[in-house]
Amino acid sequence: MSFSVAEGPRLLAHLDEGPGLDRHRLANAAPGVVPLERLASAAEAADLRGRGGAGFPFAVKLRTAARRGAVVVVNLSEGEPASHKDEALAMLRPHLILDGAALAARALGTRRVHLVLPGDRPHVSERIHEAVAERRTGERLQWRTHVADEGFVSGQARAVIELMSGRANRPVTAWAPEAVSGFHGRPTLLSNAETYAQLCSIWSQGPDPATMLVTRHSETGATTVLEVELGAPWSAVLSPDELRRPVLVGGYHGVWVPAGALADRRVAAEDLAELGARLGAGVVMPLPAGVCPVDRTARIVSYLAAQSAGRCGPCRNGLPALAHAVDQVRRGIDNGERVQELCGLVSGRGACAHPDGTARLVRSLLRWFGDELHLHQRQECGHGALAPTG
Amino acid sequence: MAPSRLRVDWPSCHGRGLCHELLPELISLDEWGFPIVTGEVPPALGPAARRAVAGCPRLALRLVES
Repeated sequence: MSFSVAEGPRLLAHLDEGPGLDRHRLANAAPGVVPLERLASAAEAADLRGRGGAGFPFAVKLRTAARRGAVVVVNLSEGEPASHKDEALAMLRPHLILDGAALAARALGTRRVHLVLPGDRPHVSERIHEAVAERRTGERLQWRTHVADEGFVSGQARAVIELMSGRANRPVTAWAPEAVSGFHGRPTLLSNAETYAQLCSIWSQGPDPATMLVTRHSETGATTVLEVELGAPWSAVLSPDELRRPVLVGGYHGVWVPAGALADRRVAAEDLAELGARLGAGVVMPLPAGVCPVDRTARIVSYLAAQSAGRCGPCRNGLPALAHAVDQVRRGIDNGERVQELCGLVSGRGACAHPDGTARLVRSLLRWFGDELHLHQRQECGHGALAPTG
Repeated sequence: MAPSRLRVDWPSCHGRGLCHELLPELISLDEWGFPIVTGEVPPALGPAARRAVAGCPRLALRLVES
């Protein structure tokens, strides 16, 4: 693995015991009879929200999907390349994920569980297949696996359902929530891998302490997956030096928060909301010393533009235009208005949230880095990031 | 009747622009020719909105409850 994993209080506890089912069963009873309302209430009491990025309340999804013909889908595809937390869970705690899915399947009275695996991380597929093989006896669940394409938008909910349906692994328009009408029109409980692991942990061990998984990209270049208690100070995640820098919170679809802003705040949705930020899928990237935030953003936007599936006109046309405009800003051209206009033109106009996420990132650049942008206009970037090509 | 709004099925839309011709009151076109839909459909424009939906050659425009 290209990252390290720190021991944590719940999901990432006792890592030395290995990923096997026998060890897992010492702390987690096999899912037996699971009344839907008990599971939904437990998720609700713990305020469990989707950990794929959107943060939708899990109990609402579960209750909505509780109709005839329901299916359970575990999204392990982790399309955001900077995120490694679902990968870490799959490698180290696969049965937490599978037990969470089994609990949901029991509660919904279905035997069908679909596992969507990341095509660009074959070791995850291998480990999940091993884990499913360990569980065969007596469980009477039908585990089906699917392998998602590489690429940022392949993990999006509707793209995953397209893949399961034998069509191209690309987003399509959702006319109803997946829990109402998803796979083959059935009620579909589709959640991220960590969400199911949290569900299992809450069911076995109760709600406290509430935690979330974070992928931290330190300025030294080290990548670490860690489990953080919600409400902990940000110093539990970032070093004092990193707390004094701008931080990209929420990954490439996330937002910049200004230097020092996290120092007196907690790892909590309310605290981040004050900064216009969300925890998203838990990717945290402090800006390394000597790196220009304008240059960094321009590169990310250019990458995101290339990751457009190219199916929706505003995204196919707008993201390359936006990438170009942001790059002009980097070169010192005063076209903030054009950047704002393009952000408006791509937002809310696609089958998935890829254009919206990209616009959100760009707006945070304009919001917090006015001084830096002025320097660029005067051809005075202190980081030497004004060259014609990045 | 519940208030309704127009939604575009973006992967299906090829930016032909017919919806704008049929319903300029609610649909403009962006610089690439794709529809920009504004707000809810007022009752008076209901028939025109239904004509725009029916007129889309890609079946990419729908009236949905808001």
